[in-house]
Amino acid sequence: MAAILEAKGVKRTYTMGRVLVPALRGVSLRVEEGEFVAIFGPSGSGKSTLLHVLGGLDRPDEGDVFISGVGLSTLSDDKLAEVRLRKIGFVFQFFNLLPRLTALRNVELPLTLADVPEKEAVERAKEVLKTVGLEERINHRPTELSGGEQQRVAIARALINEPKIVLADEPTGNLDTTTGWEIVHLMKRLNEEKGQTFVVVTHDQSAAETANRMIYLKDGVIQGVKKSSRGVRP
Amino acid sequence: MRRKRIVAMAWENLKLRRLRTSLTTLGVVIGITAVIALASLGEGFRVTVTQRMEQGFELNVLTVIPGSLFAGLARERFTDEKVQNITEISGVEIATPVMQIGNVTLYNGDKKVRAFVATAVNFTDFINVFPDRFTFESGGPPEQGRNDTIVLGYKVNHPNETETAFAVAGDGVNMSLTKTEGAYPFVRPVVKNYTFTVAGTLQKKGAPGITNFDYWVFIPLDTAREIYESSESDLIFAKVSDPDRSEEIAEDIEALFPRYKISILVPLTFIRQVDYIINLVQLFLTSIASISLLVAGIGIMNIMTVSVMERTREIGIMKAIGAKNMTILAMFLTEAALIGTLGGLIGVPTGYGLSYLLSFVVSRFMGGQHQQGTVLQTPETQQTMVSPIFSLWWAVGAMLFGIIVSVLFGLYPARKASKLDPVEALRYE
Repeated sequence: MAAILEAKGVKRTYTMGRVLVPALRGVSLRVEEGEFVAIFGPSGSGKSTLLHVLGGLDRPDEGDVFISGVGLSTLSDDKLAEVRLRKIGFVFQFFNLLPRLTALRNVELPLTLADVPEKEAVERAKEVLKTVGLEERINHRPTELSGGEQQRVAIARALINEPKIVLADEPTGNLDTTTGWEIVHLMKRLNEEKGQTFVVVTHDQSAAETANRMIYLKDGVIQGVKKSSRGVRP
Repeated sequence: MRRKRIVAMAWENLKLRRLRTSLTTLGVVIGITAVIALASLGEGFRVTVTQRMEQGFELNVLTVIPGSLFAGLARERFTDEKVQNITEISGVEIATPVMQIGNVTLYNGDKKVRAFVATAVNFTDFINVFPDRFTFESGGPPEQGRNDTIVLGYKVNHPNETETAFAVAGDGVNMSLTKTEGAYPFVRPVVKNYTFTVAGTLQKKGAPGITNFDYWVFIPLDTAREIYESSESDLIFAKVSDPDRSEEIAEDIEALFPRYKISILVPLTFIRQVDYIINLVQLFLTSIASISLLVAGIGIMNIMTVSVMERTREIGIMKAIGAKNMTILAMFLTEAALIGTLGGLIGVPTGYGLSYLLSFVVSRFMGGQHQQGTVLQTPETQQTMVSPIFSLWWAVGAMLFGIIVSVLFGLYPARKASKLDPVEALRYE
């Protein structure tokens, strides 16, 4: 059976001025359905680039990414947007909510893009916001929410289209330790209760160790993979 | 993404930047206001001029005059046979010949008045051709068969707009005219006197058309023919049943004569020419006004380019969660179109408002000028006022133009937004 997410020999080089910066130098990995995978490494190791490539936000120079067996390199920009819309949910370090929209509207936005009728979209958004524990604050704008609450809204938005994989880029990076752990708990709970697949990029080793599998990335190359059986630590 | 939601989002975005949106819209408003004001005034001007011309030129009357502007105005004269031929052309109701006698002087007791032209007509036919021009101040049309009756035009009867008339119906007047006697080369001018009874005097018409009956006196054609011992005429007036066909009828009449021997005044052609000229002027003026709309378009482009830069991150987020390039493009173009629509909705009424204001100011100013009196002053010209005309066509056209300009100038920034690389856009601070 095809893995839900697979990368094969992915290379990506950036040009910064006249200097070529190789961010990814041949990365291959597989993620099975229901897994909680952490990509761990120091800053500048290419973690974020890898996540962007895995999620179809960026295209690799070499190699390909497959989602449920479908290669992304052959897809047009529009088809790739469609993949991001329906198969992938993104969670970012800086939450990346639209500031002028309420929590509810932010969560609903992917459904709007997917042409789901407004009434149904609102219902579903409310439901997902309840799942992340924010049913009380659905009409608040991002500026009226705490960092942890904003990240919950972002997770709700990532989940709304029932994606195959949620890709999280330093989801705790902009939060204090306690709130950060709450977010990790939330993601673990969603993984365990609903079987939602997560790929989380982090430079926080203790957070990474809560994953089923830890992939250690350094200098654009996978240095090692570690199965972890450790539970979530408070 | 559904169109309704795109419009709603675009509208939200515009509301979020209220001042900027208002100022950008103001540019479009000014452009459309200018276009509409000039167009509606031009339209009003056209209608006023056309109406006045239609009053002055009976559209259903063709005037056949001898000679031609190409080949010189040789004094050709018309025989009754030609008049008959013209009558037989299909579409011609009546053709009536006219003989003109220059420089006559009229005496009523010790009152004396000069008329530029005494026109000899067949009264029955002639009044039939120009029914609207024969409204009598005193008396009425001459009895048929009488050869000693005369009808006086208003200016002849009131030479200096005097209160007291030169004559009233029933008065006997003497007409002195100059005719030539003797055979060539022994031709000499002789002044002759004839007595007429005034059958009627005409009311003031002042129609600024080809002919102005105010300055004419009318005598029976048969009498003039006796005096001059001639059965030829100087002009032929032909009344047509359908003015729209007057141009082809004119061609049929021309075909009766050798080339360049006659000219035909076709009022329709004349009015068309004037209409054409007014069209050109109107087009020219509105083109100038359109420039301000283009300036507004550049304003839109400028503001939207800034807007795209400011919203780079937002665009990145939209793309990350699955917005297609087309969706981003549509969002920005919709914003531009909304500005255009808003500008049109405000600009069209403002434009009409401005044109009414302008026409009011101009008519006041012109009214003041007229009171000083000019040669052409008539009761009608004193009231002349160009009122702007609302035309749905122009309103819709200007609105569409505003929207098209907005969208065209929005295209560049919108495309720029849609082509943004999502990863870089997300990184943008």
